[in-house]
Amino acid sequence: MVISNPAHSEKPTVSARSIHKSFGSNEVLKGIDIDLYPGEVLALVGGNGAGKSTLMKILMGIYQADSGRLFVDGVETKINKPSIALANGIYLVPQEPMLFPNMSVEENIIIGFNENKAELRNRLKDTIQTLGWELDLKRKALTLSIAEQQLVEILRGLMRKSKLLIFDEPTSSLTFNEVEALFTMINLLRQQGLSIIYITHRLNEVFQIADRVVIMSDGLITLNAPVEEVNHEILVRGLLPTNIEYQENKICSIDINRECKPIFEVNQLTGYGFSNISFKVYPGEILGIAGIVGAGRTELVTSIFGKDDIINGKVILDGEDITGLSTHEVMSKGLSYVPEDRFLNGMFRISSVAENTTASSVDSLGHIALNKKREKEITNYFIDTFRTRVTGCEQEMGSLSGGNQQKVVIGRSIATKPKLLILDEPTRGIDAAARADVYAIINKLRQDGMAILIISSDMEEIVELSDRVLTMYSGQIVAEFNREDVNHDSLMAAAFGIVGGKV
Amino acid sequence: MNVANNGKQSKLKRTLNKLLHARELTSIIFLVLMFAVVGIINSNFLSVSNLTLSLNSSVVYTIVAIGIALVIITGEIDVSVGATLGMAASISATMVRDGSPTWLAFSAAILVGALIGLINGIGVSILKVPSIIMTLGVNSIVRGLIYVYTDGKWVENLPFDFKTISQSKLPGTGITLIYFSVIVIAIIVHLFLNRTQRGKYFAAVGDNEGGATLLGIPVNATRLSAYVICGVFSAIGGVLYASRVGFVTPISGNGYEMKVIAACVLGGVSMAGGVGTVIGASIGSLIMASISRVLVFIGLSSDYDNTITGCLLIIIVVFDAVMQRRNAVTARHERLRARTGNVNLGGIK
Repeated sequence: MVISNPAHSEKPTVSARSIHKSFGSNEVLKGIDIDLYPGEVLALVGGNGAGKSTLMKILMGIYQADSGRLFVDGVETKINKPSIALANGIYLVPQEPMLFPNMSVEENIIIGFNENKAELRNRLKDTIQTLGWELDLKRKALTLSIAEQQLVEILRGLMRKSKLLIFDEPTSSLTFNEVEALFTMINLLRQQGLSIIYITHRLNEVFQIADRVVIMSDGLITLNAPVEEVNHEILVRGLLPTNIEYQENKICSIDINRECKPIFEVNQLTGYGFSNISFKVYPGEILGIAGIVGAGRTELVTSIFGKDDIINGKVILDGEDITGLSTHEVMSKGLSYVPEDRFLNGMFRISSVAENTTASSVDSLGHIALNKKREKEITNYFIDTFRTRVTGCEQEMGSLSGGNQQKVVIGRSIATKPKLLILDEPTRGIDAAARADVYAIINKLRQDGMAILIISSDMEEIVELSDRVLTMYSGQIVAEFNREDVNHDSLMAAAFGIVGGKV
Repeated sequence: MNVANNGKQSKLKRTLNKLLHARELTSIIFLVLMFAVVGIINSNFLSVSNLTLSLNSSVVYTIVAIGIALVIITGEIDVSVGATLGMAASISATMVRDGSPTWLAFSAAILVGALIGLINGIGVSILKVPSIIMTLGVNSIVRGLIYVYTDGKWVENLPFDFKTISQSKLPGTGITLIYFSVIVIAIIVHLFLNRTQRGKYFAAVGDNEGGATLLGIPVNATRLSAYVICGVFSAIGGVLYASRVGFVTPISGNGYEMKVIAACVLGGVSMAGGVGTVIGASIGSLIMASISRVLVFIGLSSDYDNTITGCLLIIIVVFDAVMQRRNAVTARHERLRARTGNVNLGGIK
């Protein structure tokens, strides 16, 4: 195919030069250069937090880059809102459908067009016919299944006469036939000279549809090559963080007695977002659950924690059945959960460090009046042992750095003296020093005999901390590794659904 | 021939189906039931004169409800409509009393209404003040200004010509010309919202703001114009009020915001935004206007009027909210279930 020739004869449709973007102190894009050529399908792959979505949102004008330049057809263009991106022929098919639930399918697709309605309708019917999709245009969007919603989003993108069409994981909930039809359509658009970015977690699709592959990792492009020059192995390797240091100061291994009774047991558990999950956690053991975002890990633990319904199966904590209990009851039985998103679920921003530390164990502070002295004692204990940097236990939680906030939140969970501690993305968005402190805390808890369940998208973290690792993909456990055989490559491959090293 | 016939039939069927599933249907049934039940208790209620009176007396509610419906459809709220109405009534009444021609008084009132709407709109869509706070503040400011403007006095002795505007009837019927005009306005606004590209932006903004932004829909401009139109319609309501009642007091229009919000909700306009029509809001207004008359006819004190309005409002909003929460949970579960796919455990070739 001529198009995949790296020596492009045409000018790029859209170019980006040294794009930088930070959110607070977290640098998400560290200088991205990319050229998108007409008639080329570029597959963009990368782990969670690699910066793919941020880059796409910058192209679409939803975010603005801190520095860097964008060119459309060779002309420098400031894209600071979506309407400018649309006027320049750039369209993003978002990962999560953004439909108008109370409008019909047809209204959803043709809204925002300034063309003749009858003409639009005909074009829409032609497009659907070419695709061979079955979609009732009169139905309201809220009655559509998620896959159908995704079809509508894709149709919106196809109806726009775009120069650059971006698909952000379009196939995550489509059936095989629908995916085939989409690929046929993408091939058609490629022949018409459109430039296409195709983001995916399914590495197979890269070889099916792409002309060129770009791998992003940790805010940088680590690979940019024609698809003929790569294979599965290179892709998986490219997804790893750029500077892996195998720190041999891994947690000292303790002999875990797996003969004794497990402290925590999940038996064929099925709920919304996961199915048929079974595992055991022993006292003093750290069990890691790896997987990409959307694999169902958070849904699994929040359901265990009583925040959503369990359809089938059993959860047993220290010999007691805690299936389907409310969050409050689950906590009182001895299970504690540190949520993924501190800001949303984990902390009280305008309360003091002391109030945040004791918020979960407030019952132990006296029944009528709160014992302020006891509150201070507990708080100071955790500040000392966790080396939390605060001015005092009355400091406002919101004024702490991310790492110190996380220490306080972990302290709060431990103050309830749980039998099992669940940590969901314990070090997301915190700096290296704080990360080391958090690891030390986790290590100490484990030596004290606490059972710990860690969920993380950061493979390095999982490898460093876990005694045993389960990998989830599409809501199911696809692989289990012991400490001896766990490594980045096998873990990453399993997280992307490739099991048994067969690549 | 046969095929064409079939096509027609299915179109008829579709239209019928659409009618049956419209949210407005519930309000029409409510309206009919209310009239039927009261009619059984007191047959005078169903007399032609009472029915036309019910229609005519709902005119002020209807025009203001059309305006506020636009704001609610974009997902916001405006509680300053009662004050805007009072201000417009005071201005137009003093002007005609002091000898200005009606058209000038009408124009001045509309200008003031538009200005109040503009201030609300800038506060909510540009400065991002929560709409309840912004319009509550503006409500208070305008109420205060009415006292300043009128010196706290009633505006009375309005010229006969001005008062007859609201009395003249459509030839051969008991329906007033102004009610007829307001219905025409409702139909025009309805067509604008449902048949034009710009009009559809209103529901889009209220339905999914993020999605609207992504499609390049001017979210702020749409909200701003909803507030301006609402201000203008409230002002028209104020002039009609002055003409109908014949005098204006500093507290004229007090509590109208509550009545018209209830009218919208009764007419199937969702407080969450994105759903509802001005036709529904008009039907709701008719119900609201009839409730106080109903109370009289079934022999209850009209003191219950506000209490009943409040109860109806809460019942419907709570019902709506519960349904929406249920739908959201179902949608989330469905999405999660779709993700839980079949994993190819054999690896990839």
